Amino acid sequence: MNLRRHAQSGPLISLVPMIDVMLILLVFFMVTSTYLNLDMIPAVRPSEDGTAQASSAPEATLMIRIGADGAMVLQGIALDPAALGQRLTLELAEEPLMQVLILPSGAAPTQSLISVMDAAALAGVQRLRVLRLEARP
Amino acid sequence: MKLTRPKRATQSETIVALIDVVFFLLVFFMLIGRMDATAPFEVRPPVAQTGRDMPAGGITLAIAADGALALDGDDISVADLDAALSAELERQPALRLRINAHRTAELRHVLPYVTRAEALGLRDVVLVVTPERDE
Repeated sequence: MNLRRHAQSGPLISLVPMIDVMLILLVFFMVTSTYLNLDMIPAVRPSEDGTAQASSAPEATLMIRIGADGAMVLQGIALDPAALGQRLTLELAEEPLMQVLILPSGAAPTQSLISVMDAAALAGVQRLRVLRLEARP
Repeated sequence: MKLTRPKRATQSETIVALIDVVFFLLVFFMLIGRMDATAPFEVRPPVAQTGRDMPAGGITLAIAADGALALDGDDISVADLDAALSAELERQPALRLRINAHRTAELRHVLPYVTRAEALGLRDVVLVVTPERDE
């Protein structure tokens, strides 16, 4: 005779729905998430970089003006970013230690300054300075 | 005619309904919420191919196309900016300031803040850019 009491079964919690929900959550995050792809360009370099740059004087200087309309002017000639990059590459081939100064108009859009800095960086300019406007915003 | 009685819901089916509700609540909060401190105005950073990876940390100064300011997602006036930056700099001496300016913002609304931040003692100021063209 079997006198053992049957073990009472508690409420059954199935893990399958939980796993389904977690998978749905995962897919949801993957599909709907938008990631901002942001980079940065240093505007003020940490002091160790600054001292290193100040230690050797530049051999030559080239100034790029940015007009109020965003036009980039090098030695009196308006250039687009690609042409500016080519020109800077040629200048750097002759004078590798050349310093490039950027003189932007206060009314120029931020994109134009970044485009000039971008072209200079692509051309391999190591010494780049932006002449900042000192007026109150 | 045979009338069958509907089956009673089991315990596991009740839990599934609960999970569904929780899931939809989660979706609701995700849709209306924001996960990062964003500016109260539209900011589309300028495009650059040579930007470096953005390190974590620091505070973000957002500048709108018309020159409006927001510090870490909250509107701030020009007059209050120096005090806010100084207070933050006291707490974090190696503070990084990210200037997230709209690409059409005039430079007279952007560059003076770099100078002011440097004058306050910030030694790590970066301009936020994006490598992706969206037009």
